[in-house]
Amino acid sequence: MLVNTYSKRVFNLAYQFVGSYQEAEDLTQDIFLKLYGALHRYDFEKNFTAWLLTMAKNHLIDTYRKTKWEKAHRDEFDEQFAAPEAGRGPESGLMQEADRKLVWEGLNRLAPETRMAVILRDIQEKRYEEVAEILDLPLGTVKSRINRGRLQLAKILKDRKEDAYDL
Amino acid sequence: MTCERIEELLSAFLEGELSQAEKTLVKAHLAGCPDCAALLAILSRAQQALADFPELEVSPGLQARLAAIPEHKKKFSLSFDFVLRPALQPVFAAATIFMTLLSFYLFNPDKKNIDRAIDQKIHSGYSQVEKLYAKAGSFTDRLGDTAENVFVSVKSWKIFGGNEDPTYK
Repeated sequence: MLVNTYSKRVFNLAYQFVGSYQEAEDLTQDIFLKLYGALHRYDFEKNFTAWLLTMAKNHLIDTYRKTKWEKAHRDEFDEQFAAPEAGRGPESGLMQEADRKLVWEGLNRLAPETRMAVILRDIQEKRYEEVAEILDLPLGTVKSRINRGRLQLAKILKDRKEDAYDL
Repeated sequence: MTCERIEELLSAFLEGELSQAEKTLVKAHLAGCPDCAALLAILSRAQQALADFPELEVSPGLQARLAAIPEHKKKFSLSFDFVLRPALQPVFAAATIFMTLLSFYLFNPDKKNIDRAIDQKIHSGYSQVEKLYAKAGSFTDRLGDTAENVFVSVKSWKIFGGNEDPTYK
């Protein structure tokens, strides 16, 4: 069943992109609605996962553009992202939590297309070829976009180095 | 190499995608440039933080909402999906043209004249058909006569046992 197989991937992509649990749930529902409406257009020669994630990416970026102002002025960050992983000591857990919070906030400052490329490569750990397929871009463009995104992120974090969390 | 050029290579340096010569250049630059070395350290730690982002489970509530979507779709598809079939598009196009012409006829203020013109056309068409039918009838008769004459002539040939009439002996 489509929901059982793909809901987790779509939800996590939405969550990593927007950083809000509730919003990610609503977006996942929208994406599945779109999916059922577009299934008849699916070309069976294409990779279904890549096709679905392309649709999800388009929806997430479109929605972000429509609510850009609202998001740019929002400092919200869900606790789910920052929650320390089980099995780590309290100190390293807190460090990890601080890093994630800072990194996600930095990521949120990148242009949506760049952010999506970095999420797919560095959070979802997809191969460059898979990212290129999902973003529907040439491999070289994807590599330079990810490179540029990482560098922008590192510079944002460097500028905030004096803040409470010393990254 | 300038810091700007080195910065562009840092990500590939971390992923081990640089050539040996580029690697040596980057290492040499980093040894003498604390700014670029600090940026590399941040880049590395940020990538580690991104890789450690947890993968979340879908809540049962969302799972239920997603599972309910196809039912809505099915209800819709039972009633309206047939409209979207490409095979029916010519039918819809023809029906649209027909309805347009019909509405043009029904709501035309000069409807009586149109009726009269249509009536005349139908009558003239009918008389044309009658004439054609009569012509076709006479042509069929002539064709029948000709065929009979040909048959009689052929029958009278000698090779078919003709000219055996006693008057020729």
